[in-house]
Amino acid sequence: MPDPETDKSSAPSAPRFEPDQGWVPADERLFGVDRRTIAPTLAVFALAIVMSLVLPVINAKMPYHDIVKAGDVVQLQGEVTFVPEAGWGITSGVRAGNAPLSGEYPATATVQDKAVKFMVHTAPFDGDANKLLDQIEMTSEALNRGRGVHVAGAHTTIVTDQGKQGATARVTGPRTGGVIAAFVFNRRGVEAVATGPSDTGPEPTAAVFQMIRSISQPGEGKR
Amino acid sequence: MTPTLADLDRARNIALDLSGWGRRFTFYQPRNFAFWGYLVLVGTGMFVSVARVTREYDAYGQAIALAVTSFAIYAALFWWFTQHIDHYAKLPAKLMVVAFLWGGFAATWMMAANANDAILALYAKSFGQSWALNWGAGLSAPFTEETAKGSRLLLLIALAPRQVRTAFDGFISGAFIGLGFQIIEDIAYAMTSASSQFGANQIGASIGTIFLRMVSGVAAHIVYSAIFCAGLIYLLGRPAEPRRVGRGLLLMAIPMLLHGTWDSLAAIAGPSALTQVGLLIAVIVIVLVIVVRVYELTVRREREFVRDVMTPEEARDVITAAELDAMAGNRKARKGYRKAGRDRRERKRTRYVLNAAYDLADELAAARGADTDRVRFARAEVGRIRAGVPSPW
Repeated sequence: MPDPETDKSSAPSAPRFEPDQGWVPADERLFGVDRRTIAPTLAVFALAIVMSLVLPVINAKMPYHDIVKAGDVVQLQGEVTFVPEAGWGITSGVRAGNAPLSGEYPATATVQDKAVKFMVHTAPFDGDANKLLDQIEMTSEALNRGRGVHVAGAHTTIVTDQGKQGATARVTGPRTGGVIAAFVFNRRGVEAVATGPSDTGPEPTAAVFQMIRSISQPGEGKR
Repeated sequence: MTPTLADLDRARNIALDLSGWGRRFTFYQPRNFAFWGYLVLVGTGMFVSVARVTREYDAYGQAIALAVTSFAIYAALFWWFTQHIDHYAKLPAKLMVVAFLWGGFAATWMMAANANDAILALYAKSFGQSWALNWGAGLSAPFTEETAKGSRLLLLIALAPRQVRTAFDGFISGAFIGLGFQIIEDIAYAMTSASSQFGANQIGASIGTIFLRMVSGVAAHIVYSAIFCAGLIYLLGRPAEPRRVGRGLLLMAIPMLLHGTWDSLAAIAGPSALTQVGLLIAVIVIVLVIVVRVYELTVRREREFVRDVMTPEEARDVITAAELDAMAGNRKARKGYRKAGRDRRERKRTRYVLNAAYDLADELAAARGADTDRVRFARAEVGRIRAGVPSPW
């Protein structure tokens, strides 16, 4: 407890003056800006530039080395597989027998040959191949609103090497063309999309159709 | 030697100066370079985020509506909790909003999302797709996301050097940065899930993700960035927190390690679902134990400030020694103080007295220790409640 004899003080009745937060001491100004705030801001900007520009540029400049060899099979979720064209690069997805440690194969795989990309995606789906293609078309239209790559033209039938019937259609976009195919194996939908420059020659198209026809699921064969 | 009231008042003023408690925060500071940096990065992140939601709304509107509603409620609960634990030398609410927006928009969209994609692709190119699927997320996100969130604290200190003074300030503002990051990331995850089944069955596809993110979020970004930012304050040092490099680096490394472990759970656990669930629970428990320890470690300084600010009130017989101990103590101390009441009515009153004493502390801090009308009123309120007189207001 304080000693009442020596206690003659009481707190002041008005707060001590403090300059407002925007005030900058005269000796800390640089062109009117608080020089003490420049270094931390530049450090944060540098970090943002590294993260949003430098790393993506480094990634874009580094080529893929994972090239498909004859006999390679790419596997996706739900035991869906396809045989990629030898010589193409695997840009996402893994080969059959090379599952991640979790045991779960990814839902999407992409292979690429120069500017031509072939992507396969799988997920649960209730309905047949035509319904799946309609669903993909509807989602694509909603996302692109008539711009960008979208499904165009009537559905036609495509049959895989396994004998599975699917639906296919053309896809178009600004300076881009391609093909989309849809299959449904035991309530598991599979979407395969190939896109490339509109002037791509016939060779990639043949390779793309070969990859589409290679799509299979073991459960379907047993049935 | 017995301290005089003048000594105690001086100690109070020093505590208020050091802690920055009660100082108002002004966001609009055109002469502060950090203000412009913040505007550019948050503004761009917000634009990217809104553009994505707008673009995808027609396709995944149901899932987006569900995710935004669910995570808004979730954010409100965490907001309340985080403010609740900051009941010593409180930070201004405006500062928390600024931290939340950075975490949500600048750290997520302008920094971490771009870097994560690039690093994952680089891992896949260098070590193979399978390796990248196993370890890519665990070895990219902890570095990019924790530094992106932590970098906000550098700007926050530049924007509010008079308010962000202690490791506990770093802990609380880090929690709000993490909350913003988590909510926006969760909404993005829900949108990705909505698209996973070709845009069909959006609610079914995203509800599992929303639920899992809510459960796991208890021990995720909010906690990681709270620990990281407390560590960053120790590393940098502040007027009220001496620099402790070792402790700072350790506290910054811990959330990175926890984050990496969390992102690699599937690879560590292998194909067994049971092992995965067991590991998930174990990591959550470890994270919660660590965050409680870090809270206890950082909050001590704040409790000292409360004691310094309120000791003159005890000397002036406004509060009792037991009340001062309860105010500057932990939850257990406050509970012990309340339980000392003879009956239920008295226990209730002690709780109200304690709340009124905290109000007085806030008023004293806002008045920088001066005896203003507001302080005198808050002081009178403590006496009124103690005497059991009903409020005239």
